[in-house]
Amino acid sequence: MAGKGGTNVDEPLDLLRLSLDERIYVKMRGDRELRGKLHAYDQHLNMVLGEVEEVVTVVEYDEDTFEEHVKMTKRNIDMLYVRGDGVILVSPPLRTS
Amino acid sequence: MAAIGPSKRSPTEFLSQVTGRPVVVKLNTGVDYKGVLACLDGYMNIAMEQTEEYVNGQLKNKYGDAFIRGNNVLYISTLGAKKR
Amino acid sequence: MSRTMGGQLLPLELIDRCIGSRIWIILKGDKEFVGTLQGFDDYVNMVLEDVTEFEVNPDGGYRETKLDQILLNGNNICMLVPGGEGPVAQGGGQ
Repeated sequence: MAGKGGTNVDEPLDLLRLSLDERIYVKMRGDRELRGKLHAYDQHLNMVLGEVEEVVTVVEYDEDTFEEHVKMTKRNIDMLYVRGDGVILVSPPLRTS
Repeated sequence: MAAIGPSKRSPTEFLSQVTGRPVVVKLNTGVDYKGVLACLDGYMNIAMEQTEEYVNGQLKNKYGDAFIRGNNVLYISTLGAKKR
Repeated sequence: MSRTMGGQLLPLELIDRCIGSRIWIILKGDKEFVGTLQGFDDYVNMVLEDVTEFEVNPDGGYRETKLDQILLNGNNICMLVPGGEGPVAQGGGQ
């Protein structure tokens, strides 16, 4: 059993612990994606991210031409608190251990 | 709880059997994640390796490691291959 | 220590009796599963084998997916039908 601070992944949340101060990718509900530096997190997956790029994807349907347009809206946010219940997936940077 | 029958395989046993093996995790949204199950906890939070994301059966993304929040999980399935 | 109320079968005892047999599971959404019940826990998370997943199409039909063995999250379960063969055998859909 690796204690707190070890490099092993014994439980899923260890993936986040090993990603502290690293840039991570977060997939959220509502077709929302975040990329930013993980400053802090808790057991609910509430997170504080820094230097965040947020991408919101909207599919618009044109009733006249029957065409679907995928619209991506990007914005940059210095510091962001993310409520955990909206989180679907978190991907840390590639580990080289 | 009622008595345990001869062929009973509880969720805990299932999970210990599939940890470290290839699985498909399906979310409530219908998105599939194929990869190696690294570990999971009591909330069904999942850590996966070599993860591929499939939307409507089409490969959309790959992640070296992925953490999936348990409340989104519909099921965890063994990936073809042998059983028992 | 299985106890009964006035000779009645408790809900979880009914499910326990289904272990080893086919069971039809209807979720809260538009999904249904049929499989052989291997086991379950207090949250009614279920281990199923030789599973067919049914998803309702927009046209009212079903899209079927075969799965070897799954752990189904109990969170989304609405109804259980012991011995059920699924929506298609019932003449549902189509």
